[in-house]
Amino acid sequence: MEEANRDIKEAYKIECINVSKSYNYGEKTEVKVLDKVNIKAKENEFVVVLGPGQSGKTTLFRLIAGFERPTAGEVYVNDKKVASPNPKIGFVFQKYMLFPWKTVIGNIEMGPKLMGISKKKRREIANYYIKLVGLEGFENYYPNQLSGGMKQRVGIARSYANNADILLLDEPFGQLDAQTRMFMEKEIMRMWNQEKKTVCFVTNNVDEAVFLADRIICLEGKLPGRVNKIYNVDIPRPREFTDIPFIKLREEIKNNMELIL
Amino acid sequence: MDKMNSKALKPYLSVLDIFQNKNVLSIISMIIFLLLWDFIVVRGIAGSYLPRPIEVFDRFLYILKNPLAGKTLVGHLLISLKRVFIAFIIAVIFGIPIGVLMGFNQYARAIMKPVFDLFKPMPPIAWISLAILWFGIGETSKVFIIFIGSFVPIVVNSYNGIRLVEPELYDAIRILGADYWQEHLEVTFPGSFPAIFAGMQISLSIGWTCVLAAELVGAREGIGFIIVMGMNVGNVAQIIVGMLVIAAVAFLLSVGLNYLERKVCPWKKQIET
Amino acid sequence: MNGREQVKVKNLFWISFLSILILILVWQFIVSSGIVPSTMLDSPLSVIRLFFDKLTNVNPDGATLGAHVLASLQAILLGYLLALLIGIPLGLLMGWYAVIDGLVRPIFELVRPIPPVAWIPLAIFWFGIGMTGKVYIIFIGGLVPAVINAYTGVLMSNPVLIQMAKTYGASKWQIFKTICIPSALPMIFGALQVALAICWTCLVAAELLASDVGLGYLITMGRRLLLPKLVILGMLMLGVTGFIIGYIVDKIERHLVSGLRR
Repeated sequence: MEEANRDIKEAYKIECINVSKSYNYGEKTEVKVLDKVNIKAKENEFVVVLGPGQSGKTTLFRLIAGFERPTAGEVYVNDKKVASPNPKIGFVFQKYMLFPWKTVIGNIEMGPKLMGISKKKRREIANYYIKLVGLEGFENYYPNQLSGGMKQRVGIARSYANNADILLLDEPFGQLDAQTRMFMEKEIMRMWNQEKKTVCFVTNNVDEAVFLADRIICLEGKLPGRVNKIYNVDIPRPREFTDIPFIKLREEIKNNMELIL
Repeated sequence: MDKMNSKALKPYLSVLDIFQNKNVLSIISMIIFLLLWDFIVVRGIAGSYLPRPIEVFDRFLYILKNPLAGKTLVGHLLISLKRVFIAFIIAVIFGIPIGVLMGFNQYARAIMKPVFDLFKPMPPIAWISLAILWFGIGETSKVFIIFIGSFVPIVVNSYNGIRLVEPELYDAIRILGADYWQEHLEVTFPGSFPAIFAGMQISLSIGWTCVLAAELVGAREGIGFIIVMGMNVGNVAQIIVGMLVIAAVAFLLSVGLNYLERKVCPWKKQIET
Repeated sequence: MNGREQVKVKNLFWISFLSILILILVWQFIVSSGIVPSTMLDSPLSVIRLFFDKLTNVNPDGATLGAHVLASLQAILLGYLLALLIGIPLGLLMGWYAVIDGLVRPIFELVRPIPPVAWIPLAIFWFGIGMTGKVYIIFIGGLVPAVINAYTGVLMSNPVLIQMAKTYGASKWQIFKTICIPSALPMIFGALQVALAICWTCLVAAELLASDVGLGYLITMGRRLLLPKLVILGMLMLGVTGFIIGYIVDKIERHLVSGLRR
């Protein structure tokens, strides 16, 4: 039945159809984290999922990535039902999750290495993406020698180097200070412009959402997570935080969020 | 611990500037210590059971050059080290696979963990008597005791090392397309290695204590024997020489292993601040 | 998903239970079937019988089980408390006063790598075989972690607090008393368990070599009299007593830590 609901006219990179997810703690307590969430993302679209803490954003991403299976509903990526972690997806973790025992270049070339690409070739790939994310000179540093912003650049480059055509970024800048964060927002726009991908981005920051997104999917403020409203952002890029349309949209979303909280 | 820099916490000092220099203080401290020791002995305050520092040093030189029960000091030291290493190797060969298995498989854990918990509160030294009943006073019983002592930390650390690998790192490697074996090769193995290595460090230092205990109870050679012999003939200087040699070896072992750790786990080094 | 896990946990418990049971049965079997001679191993049943017998019987080692346990407890309590009473203040002072640190540290670093067991012959010479020697060995063993943890605890106190106290004109002693000692408390509590474990090993070693009563002595006597059940009883009692003391110290530590939070 759900199969029939799918919009077959338009090709989507990501489709979540009526996705629900519950967790059981002990025998009786069941916590519903997501309730009938529908999300779609087109090729090369920048989709931001906006919601406060504890609204099921991360769980949604873990379902799309294939780390976990939904309790009900279906997730499609590239028109295939998600059953296991899919290397076509790049995942950037909130807590970086770099391999601490690998250097910057070792982390970035991990994807090609797993695919069995020759050492020389994967060095080339890694070096290309090190340039893209601006980490030249740090190739042989270990993750614990890097700042938060730099770690997240490595995480992004690692996903790019694995030739993923979808990037899921789970609150990637949540652990950074405000200035680094703004800088990284501009950087991610630069990278995305240079190499287009379908990007899904989780944040709880309205400014960040409006600055980055083609489309903002606003979740409700409490569990279970439900889609509250979808905004199409057609402010031309590059955007400035002081543009009139920018401020207008930001206020609209903020007002709406206060309502749902 | 040593990295902890205390300078920021000690901005002002009471005494003369010279006393702020750590090296000066160390030298003063050692001189006072030796003088006090010598003074106590010469004045006979400590009775006849404490030799002068110089006598200890003489004894050290003597057993370094002259064989004692067929071997010089170095010979005895090598015997003890050999015992520790044999037991250590056996403990590694058995301990790591068992610990890893316990970390991976909950059934293996359910079977072996209670047995371990049962034996853990018993100090390895308590096994000495049983070891002698089983194997006699020979090499086997000594290696057995050292094995018991080294085995436990290796198993426990391998087990915890496997269990405490950050689970999200598995997500990170899976989304990059790793299969089952690649997961373990690229995440499980390097992720648990520091803990396993730490277990081996602890195990060696416990082994070094155990060899001493085993040799104190009954041995004809080894560094513990030097001490026992000193005790039997009433040569306290020889006992102290034995203690200091043991301390030196323990110290060198820990320094060497720390150095090795930095070599094999280079990612653990931090930025120098 | 979790419902199944609940069942599993119950299953795992039974597997653990069976594992211990089988261990004991195999032990009983290899002894009663005569695979291993009785000079090497006694059956679990005979150990249990001996346990009840030793509650009142002083033979063959000269004291009842209770007396042995009591002697061991007394030694460890004295040595452990002494190590804490001397080690913690020493570590605290070394952490705060550079001069004390400079003078004591070299000697401490010299003593630190000597395994406490190595002190036993010297202790026998100095104090003879008996309580004093035992307490001395246990004291040496517990001293090292007590000093190190207190020392580290002081070094970890927040420099901002110290700067603040200084701007208020607090004296060095006042800062030490009101900032450094409280900051070091968590580390000091952490030392309680570590020191106890080391003390416990030292107790066994000391009693094996330099004692005429105590659980370690019981084990030694078992070996001399070729009575494996005496050895095993001693080892089991050591395990049980060690576990109980560890449990009590853990409770005390938790209590102190929660008191600290308030």
